[in-house]
Amino acid sequence: MGSPFSINGGACVAMVGKDCVAIACDLRLGMQALTVSNNFPKIFNYGDVYLGLTGLATDVATVSDLFRYKVNMYRLREERNISPQTMANLVSSSLYERRFGPYFVSPVIAGINQTTGKPFICGFDSIGCIDFAKDFIVSGTASDQLFGTCEGLWEPDLGPEDLFETVSQALLNAVDRDALSGWGAHVYIIEKDKVTKRLLKGRQD
Amino acid sequence: MASVFSGAPPQSGPGYSFKQTPTEAPSGTRQHGFYPYTDNGGSTLGISGADFTILAGDTRHTSGYNINTRYAPKLFKIGGEGPDNKGASIVLSVVGFAADGEALKERLDTIVKMYKYQHGKPMSVAACAQRLSHILYGKRFFPYYVHAILGGLDEEGRGALYSYDPVGSYEREQCRAAGAAASLIMPFLDNQVNFKNQYVPDSGSGHELQEKPRTPLDQNHVLELVRDAFTSAVERHIEVGDGLQVMIIKKEGIMEAFHPLKQD
Amino acid sequence: MEVLLGITGKDFTIVAASKAAMRGATILKASDDKTRALNSTSLMAFSGEAGDTVQFAEYIQANIQLYSMRNSMELSPTATANFVRGELARALRSRRPYTVNLILGGYDKIADKPTLYWIDYLASLAPVPYAAHGYAQYYCLSILDKHHHPDIDFEQGMKLLRMCTQELKRRLPIDFKGVVVKVITKDGIREQEYEDDVKVAIP
Repeated sequence: MGSPFSINGGACVAMVGKDCVAIACDLRLGMQALTVSNNFPKIFNYGDVYLGLTGLATDVATVSDLFRYKVNMYRLREERNISPQTMANLVSSSLYERRFGPYFVSPVIAGINQTTGKPFICGFDSIGCIDFAKDFIVSGTASDQLFGTCEGLWEPDLGPEDLFETVSQALLNAVDRDALSGWGAHVYIIEKDKVTKRLLKGRQD
Repeated sequence: MASVFSGAPPQSGPGYSFKQTPTEAPSGTRQHGFYPYTDNGGSTLGISGADFTILAGDTRHTSGYNINTRYAPKLFKIGGEGPDNKGASIVLSVVGFAADGEALKERLDTIVKMYKYQHGKPMSVAACAQRLSHILYGKRFFPYYVHAILGGLDEEGRGALYSYDPVGSYEREQCRAAGAAASLIMPFLDNQVNFKNQYVPDSGSGHELQEKPRTPLDQNHVLELVRDAFTSAVERHIEVGDGLQVMIIKKEGIMEAFHPLKQD
Repeated sequence: MEVLLGITGKDFTIVAASKAAMRGATILKASDDKTRALNSTSLMAFSGEAGDTVQFAEYIQANIQLYSMRNSMELSPTATANFVRGELARALRSRRPYTVNLILGGYDKIADKPTLYWIDYLASLAPVPYAAHGYAQYYCLSILDKHHHPDIDFEQGMKLLRMCTQELKRRLPIDFKGVVVKVITKDGIREQEYEDDVKVAIP
């Protein structure tokens, strides 16, 4: 059946800009070569934090539900939103809890820390090792392609509009070279006090 | 366990011709394995323009995690005279198993030379391209383990580029990346050379949306794209680096250049 | 060769399941009902490994009904789908997981919209306008891709279902003995008469 990471397919990317961050995902859900749904978003919102999850679809649902529960409990206890940095550590420790029977997901976090006003992104492997990156994070079955497009298109200090164009082009062109990803995309542009969500139409093959 | 799933670099890729470690206990019958193929890493790329074709390839040569040399060219002039291949107008790039690449180059070079001696005129790229396909298919059941790209100028003087799979399926294209970092470079090229996913602003929505028209790219612009593609690939792929060999085929002849790449 | 199909329209959800109960190449029964009503607006169709299917379906059915009794209200189709997925996902990482594929048809009375959920044995959950499981996927999804619209009325929905079952009859190598058809609307779940012995032309 192949790796659990590539049964359902999917791609996710996060990028840093000037006082803004972007996170985007594709919409495909498949079973091997068969596409089952073309409206399966992989980005989930937890207050100020956006979490992208690619990998095995069942674990995408399980993990996103688990973090909704954990973040809600955090908010009730602390009476404040969780910061992206704290969320990163929560994700890391929660995944490492399953060290010898992992969730088959590759999470990506994007958000702006409301205390410092600084953009934050990071990625993880399936057992919670954090990858703090200053530029961009990619995950999913199109990760090779995303590395190529992001490395080629990204530049430092992009404004919200340019960052949107960059992240969108990086994702669309990457998923067009991956049979297991695509069918449109969701793109979030996150600024200090504004979040713009856009639905992109992509190739329907 | 998960780190096994999340793919440490050589998932099933780099290997050696000879097994490094015995697979069985020292007692009993000893088994020797010989694998006729090795992956020597590296990447190549070709883009054709209105009156030129650019081919490029990095010069790193690897086996597994080892770097065998930092300068092993993957671009070869075909059908030229003498040690400098004077008068050649076709370039072959090969990536994959370097020994097969070298053997393939020698074969094609000889054939193109013999053609010229026998017919008194140089071989056209179209003919050379088809001949290369036949050479590859001739070894259908013990293939040359290479991804070849052939570049030159067609009979109208336009840039011509042909890409091949190891058993000879071929196609004329605008641009093509091959080798270890092909998956990184190719979507970037789709976007920047063929303007994929780019549209004319305010030209409508849905199917009315006008694609950005494909215009012939300027030579210096293409060269910039090639260098960008490789510096990007070097950042993210361990088998790509050290140096970039570039050949520009024009009607005046072939210009060759070398640009250093990161050696880490 | 079990067939599960689901189609939504503007005010209904159709769920169809093949009537053949099979064991290997033998058909044990030709009037099997592979569906269970969970409450008045949720219907679950199931296929998969022999014992697991009914065991899991009736476990879910009992728990959904228990919820209705304890709380004097019914769980919405969306909530039901997430509960079912949760149970299947929990079982997936247990000593013995259920090998069951599901289609959950429903009608959301609050949003006043038909719902359909596709769930596989790995507990992947997807809300979809139309769904299929097993070999039916390869034959029917392309037909539905071409002909389905979210605002079709019931007659058009049944026509679509007929196109699907005819194609299955034409192309599946084993007879699946026709389908049971259930319809979920705002008024509840009802069984729909369905003519199984319509002749199909095989070119």
